[in-house]
Amino acid sequence: MTLLDFARGPGLQGAWLVMVGGTAWRIAGILLLRQRLHLAAPRIGFAGRVRGGLATVFTRFVPRRTFWPRIAVSVGLSSTFHLGLAVIVLGGAPHIQVIHQFFWLTWPSLPKGLVVIVSGLTLASMIALLFRRIYHPVLRLLSTTDDYLSWLLVFLPVLTGILLSGETIASYRTLLTLHILSVELMMVWLPFGKLLHVKLAFYSRAAMGMNFARKGAAT
Amino acid sequence: MESAETLGEVLGRRGFGRRSLLKFAIAMTSSLALPPALAPVMAANLAKAKRRSVIWLSFQECTGCLETLLRSSSPSIEALIFDFVSLDYQESLMAAAGADAERTLREAVAANKGEYLLAIDGSIPVKDGGVYSMTGGRSNLGMLSEIAADAKAVLAIGTCAAYGGIPKAYPNPTGAAGVEDLISGKPIVNIPGCPPVPEVLSGVLVHFISFGHLPELDDRKRPLAYFGTTIHDQCYRRPFYDQGKFAKSFDDEGARQGWCLFELGCKGPVTHNACASLKWNGGTSFPIESGHGCIGCSEPDFWDAGSFYTSLAGGSSAGWRNTGIALGVGVAGGLAAALSGRRKST
Amino acid sequence: MTDFSFLTDDKLVEALLMEVAGLLRGLIDRDEGGSIDLRGLPLSPSCIETLDRCLGQGEISVVLDAAGRSEIRETSLPGVWWTKHADGAGRVIALLIEVAVTPAILRADLADMKRGLDRMPALLAKTAGRTS
Ligand code: SF4
Repeated sequence: MTLLDFARGPGLQGAWLVMVGGTAWRIAGILLLRQRLHLAAPRIGFAGRVRGGLATVFTRFVPRRTFWPRIAVSVGLSSTFHLGLAVIVLGGAPHIQVIHQFFWLTWPSLPKGLVVIVSGLTLASMIALLFRRIYHPVLRLLSTTDDYLSWLLVFLPVLTGILLSGETIASYRTLLTLHILSVELMMVWLPFGKLLHVKLAFYSRAAMGMNFARKGAAT
Repeated sequence: MESAETLGEVLGRRGFGRRSLLKFAIAMTSSLALPPALAPVMAANLAKAKRRSVIWLSFQECTGCLETLLRSSSPSIEALIFDFVSLDYQESLMAAAGADAERTLREAVAANKGEYLLAIDGSIPVKDGGVYSMTGGRSNLGMLSEIAADAKAVLAIGTCAAYGGIPKAYPNPTGAAGVEDLISGKPIVNIPGCPPVPEVLSGVLVHFISFGHLPELDDRKRPLAYFGTTIHDQCYRRPFYDQGKFAKSFDDEGARQGWCLFELGCKGPVTHNACASLKWNGGTSFPIESGHGCIGCSEPDFWDAGSFYTSLAGGSSAGWRNTGIALGVGVAGGLAAALSGRRKST
Repeated sequence: MTDFSFLTDDKLVEALLMEVAGLLRGLIDRDEGGSIDLRGLPLSPSCIETLDRCLGQGEISVVLDAAGRSEIRETSLPGVWWTKHADGAGRVIALLIEVAVTPAILRADLADMKRGLDRMPALLAKTAGRTS
């Protein structure tokens, strides 16, 4: 079995199972945590609380105006990189193929050139964010190994993906193998570190929104 | 066996002048990606050379490799190669059988000790003492090590001889292996392919006969001139790949337009071979020209690389059942963790 | 003079012409020419056609029948030859630009000439038989 065969076979299967199982473990654990007792009566009805929770998921995409001057750069960079990832994963022809193969869903792809440009932007914004993390005194203090590892495991698939699309510095086989393996590493790490925010960001916003709505605060 | 005549004399007697030989050398230097200036040198060396003894052993194989090489002979100038070698032992082609055949082999080895080329097709089973493939009571492994010992060089012809091929496919019941895993200390050249491109064998033989050594090889011991690029590098559908125009099924509009077959499972991007440039059946075409993706038959373990029709981008799924189990185990683990957390906090 | 300006966008053809020029200079100055193996380069059929067209046709065309047909033409540049070798089935097995005073394959070979000479007595005997 060549390394590529491993990556496309057992490697992919294993990474998928770890990701699914690990995510289930984390989320089940969080949902089953003891809820703090609310002693005050809710200000609004249940439907209103659900609406508040859902609304918060979306309203938090745009920061409050008062914060803008301070965070414009970092929000801009992270939005570029998050949107970029979405474009790459959902727009690149080979990625749609993988999704189609596993879930039978399909949609038209974006031109390869566009995906490559977006990948370049994504890569650049990720590097900028890393520098910010390292040079910003507070951010540096707050950063743990988890942050750097999660950054690296997202960075590698983007990097190998760009190299693969150009087929330059190494053979297609080598680059494809590295690309798939790097994605698998990310999948394996996803449930256990901060990368789980792909799911938890939505849960925590919704939970916070419901709580605020219950108390009658703005969501 | 060893003949006193030089190749130049043999060809002259048969009505081929030196111009034919020079022309052959020009074609061969081109095929071997050597500088054209070497053609006259090659022609002169060939004219002086003696016929080279080749001993061919067939192990766990289907005879497809031999068939391909024989079929390639017809009017092509490369047929001259059959005048350059003396095929002293080949079980499928020779008239001798049984004890006669064994004597032929012994004599060929003795007469050309240290000078013959050993050609192998088929993989070698090594499990259980090699009992799964025997000739005249001797295991393939035994024959290989004995006859390779006195060979000048070993040619592993076809994917089976080079890497184990189909006999080695999972679960490899006979413990099949390729030549390079079993022989050391000899120059070995791999000419993989299922079957291999015949012109590659001609090129390697001519190089060896005229220059006395094997052509330049890559890290998998393949002749670089033929295996230096992938099918994808030379594919005429490549512009469609670059434009992102893919056939989605074998009978859709894209397939009719001749678009790239990547999404239909083409393994061209990871397959090193010369099909796209030399083509098959006397230069007629190669599989992608017939509308089927490359199956990667010249790569190690191609049989175990998943479906021929799954694109390189995809892979094998873990299945819904396993996914369900993983989910269940995960939820159970989360439940246990949460419960123990609750107990601690009360 | 041939006008090459229409080719400026076709870098490959341009590069090949530069190489031909280099080989030709070598032939003139040091008496050493050389060949370019066109099939060993990633050239499209149309690129080869363009190259052929712009090298043009010179004064000599030779057809060889040696284990298949070969065509050798001098291009409009004296000393630069367009050489195409085919095998017995008509399949092209080599395509070269040769830069030489005479392409080597045209020269009669010593061994071949000796073999011819050996055949002379028989030839003479036959002729003598016919005339007497
Ligand atoms: S058909 Fe195969 S080899 Fe040809 S361009 Fe497409 S992927 Fe590459």
